[in-house]
Amino acid sequence: MVVDELFDLVSYRIHPEPHIRLDHERCQACTHRACTFVCPARCYTWSEERGRVEFAYETCLECGTCLLLCDQGALDWHYPHGGYGVRFRLT
Amino acid sequence: MNDRGDFDAIVVGAGPAGTTAALTLAQKGRRVALLERGESPGSKNMFGGMMAYCPTPERLLPDFWEQAPWERAVTKRVLTVVGEASSTSVTFHADASAERALTGFTLYRPLFDRWYAQQAEKQGVTLLCGCRVAGLLVRDGAVRGVNLGSPGDDLEAPIIIACDGTLSLLAQEAGLHAGFKPSQLALGIRALYRLSEAEIDDRFGLTGREGATHEVLGCTDGIRGGGYVYTQTETLSVGLVMHLDSLKQRGLAPYDLLDRFVASPAVAPLLRGSRLVEYSAHLLPEGGIGMVPRLSTAGLLLAGDAAGLCYTNGLNQEGMNLAMTSGMIAAEVTDEALTAADLSAARLGAYQERLKQSFVLRDMTTFRRAVDFMHHDRLFEAYPRVVGTLMEKIYRSDGQPKQKIGKLGREALRDVLPLRRVIGDLIEGGRAFLW
Repeated sequence: MVVDELFDLVSYRIHPEPHIRLDHERCQACTHRACTFVCPARCYTWSEERGRVEFAYETCLECGTCLLLCDQGALDWHYPHGGYGVRFRLT
Repeated sequence: MNDRGDFDAIVVGAGPAGTTAALTLAQKGRRVALLERGESPGSKNMFGGMMAYCPTPERLLPDFWEQAPWERAVTKRVLTVVGEASSTSVTFHADASAERALTGFTLYRPLFDRWYAQQAEKQGVTLLCGCRVAGLLVRDGAVRGVNLGSPGDDLEAPIIIACDGTLSLLAQEAGLHAGFKPSQLALGIRALYRLSEAEIDDRFGLTGREGATHEVLGCTDGIRGGGYVYTQTETLSVGLVMHLDSLKQRGLAPYDLLDRFVASPAVAPLLRGSRLVEYSAHLLPEGGIGMVPRLSTAGLLLAGDAAGLCYTNGLNQEGMNLAMTSGMIAAEVTDEALTAADLSAARLGAYQERLKQSFVLRDMTTFRRAVDFMHHDRLFEAYPRVVGTLMEKIYRSDGQPKQKIGKLGREALRDVLPLRRVIGDLIEGGRAFLW
């Protein structure tokens, strides 16, 4: 399985302020929760205990998939501040 | 740094479209700011493909392809269709001595984009990295600058060229479109593997700086899309590109599909002994000419992915060459508009007309039906299965009498696709690709 390794190989410079905010109230109206399986960075997870989608911005790859698939308008979506976020710089 | 407001133009995004636009303007003597949100150009880029050879950058930097840090010149292109118990490939191999137009270049974009932006800087472009554009400044119905995050932190110029990538938040803010739809975009994910240069040469049958691309159909569990393995100098880009609406509908996680892809018989032997070193994901435009929005408004032009200028017809995957060419044409129109002191929507409309005459919009128009054709689910599940079954029947040798291919073909289609549908697809596919 390469899946578990994949996520450990990404380099980030994390800004203390989230660049994407999830409005949990709006999120509750969703019936497909596509973000929980289509987000390639696994930023969205369904929490049985809390009965809601949980979101962590730190490992975001900034692709925009969630923004495109969220049809509830539950995301306040921005790119991270300049110089922050994911960085690909392998040489 | 220049005083703020001292620029003739601001280009947002130091990818191939933006850097080309900025470089073109600088060569015409314009003062240009090139804004990049990453810590350096290319640091946000996960491109793992091939840039088809394109003469555009040579018009700006005559020895571009001699100097640019490309990885390998692709001479070998392999298309593989995966069936249930086999895979079938077609290989195109240009002679190493073939003219450049038959090849393309694999690139590691964090290096390539940085180098390209440095060339632009040498010609006078002011490159500002770590600089995220938060919004547009609009005055009297025209875009007049950008805001960099906090109130009053503005940068002004008479014209903006937005090369801010697929999501194109600036195009949306400028009212040029209301956001692309999931059916118009594909999610690309990539795992980067390290392998020695000599091992890659041996494994893919390459010499010198030759490169190979492998594209794989039928490996996405019925999701519209495909897999790829591209050779860089000492790394392999391995991944999947899948239509976003189809991925959502199928309910599968992209990394789980990647996991299966790298372990599949068509791919695993290519990766043997290599080391996984990086993972990335990005969206790319795949809606064809139908998703290309109006490309300008007063004070603003769009180029590259931000303009939806990217397509695949199944055989060609074009994006960077369209980005560079659209960036150059956007800059030429900008330069003329600045000279005429007319940055109105009507004047800048010349950009769209100019692009229609170039290969950029002509190619996208030529393949408009191919792009639609690529949105049929059966191309990615039923047909690969049929091809696999047919080839297995052709090569099967079990002491039973053999049959002609037509009969085997009908058997392979049975219970998978009705003949009427196949004939319909042949006609539709013919109109898309053949005539």
